[in-house]
Amino acid sequence: MKRDARLALAAAAALALLPGIVLVIAHLPDFGRHPLPYGEAINGAATRERHVTNMVTAVNFDYRGLDTLGEEFMLLGAVTGTLVLLRGRRGENVSDAPAEAEGRPIPPRSDAVALACRFFAPVLLLFGIYVVLHAQLTPGGGFQGGAIIGSGALLLYLGEGYRIWRRLVRSHLFDAVEATGALIFALAGWAPMIFGAKFLENILPLGKTGALISGGLILVTNAGVALAVAGGFVLLMVEFLEETRTTKEDER
Amino acid sequence: MTVLPWLVALWLFAIGIYGIITSRHYVHLIGCLGVVQSSTYVFLLSAGYRWGAGAPIFYDHPPGTPAVDPVVQALVLTDIVVGATVTALLLALVLQVHKRRGTVDPEKLQPMRR
Repeated sequence: MKRDARLALAAAAALALLPGIVLVIAHLPDFGRHPLPYGEAINGAATRERHVTNMVTAVNFDYRGLDTLGEEFMLLGAVTGTLVLLRGRRGENVSDAPAEAEGRPIPPRSDAVALACRFFAPVLLLFGIYVVLHAQLTPGGGFQGGAIIGSGALLLYLGEGYRIWRRLVRSHLFDAVEATGALIFALAGWAPMIFGAKFLENILPLGKTGALISGGLILVTNAGVALAVAGGFVLLMVEFLEETRTTKEDER
Repeated sequence: MTVLPWLVALWLFAIGIYGIITSRHYVHLIGCLGVVQSSTYVFLLSAGYRWGAGAPIFYDHPPGTPAVDPVVQALVLTDIVVGATVTALLLALVLQVHKRRGTVDPEKLQPMRR
């Protein structure tokens, strides 16, 4: 469609929707002063029922664990799709040589970048593991921690360069990590059914509120999400960074 | 009555949509999609907000302390991570479009011929 046609269509749609939007905004509840029935219920019950102190984790990994299972498989699907799209066309014929855009030479990496990355990569990895492990106590969890661990892996590339990155980050390993994460979550759903409980029912011992090992099944599902997110992020980075390499001419 | 949070959400949504409509580059279009998505974060978090309430974490204060809605926060949390991976999938599609058709301009991309 041409630009003018698109703009005209959008303007017409905006004009048609405008009265509805104004009406909805005028009737929205008073900001910050309306009842929150579901939030109140969770805030009141989760510490007593699940022995966890982070309510968001209780919602994500227990009360609405089924939704998170769906989201985790969405993540798995998106990562798999990206991998198939990028790897399938390129194959395995990637060389070490960086592809260079015309007129844009690649500057050498400065020592300051290498030093900063060597310092921050392990710190970020450790922080990511901390965030994952304290999901049931303080702000954090598998999603955030997994993303932090993935970013820590990217610092390896930034600081050490492509060759060392490829030697350390094996895509087969992270394929397995990603799949294991999704499998752990699915099994955490089915395992209670073997013992006659419902799907994803929290039948593990709940532990003491405020302890690192508390929350029962939340620990398992959280670990599954952390593995899947960390594996998925690293795999995405591997595939996009492979795109910056030239392919081997003779094998094309 | 405060309508500012709702207006911010609406503004983010509208400029994102405007960017998508007028986009001349698919990478720019995906960035605009991210802006549209962030309007949902603002909207959800505003819907769960409560004046004078703290985070829904009861580690250092007892349960029963006024806290904001954890349900919408859980929604936003998963939304962000899944959104990031879906963005990666879309960017991979852009790379493929560029390799096959040699353009990333939505207007120059003609329907495939049989």
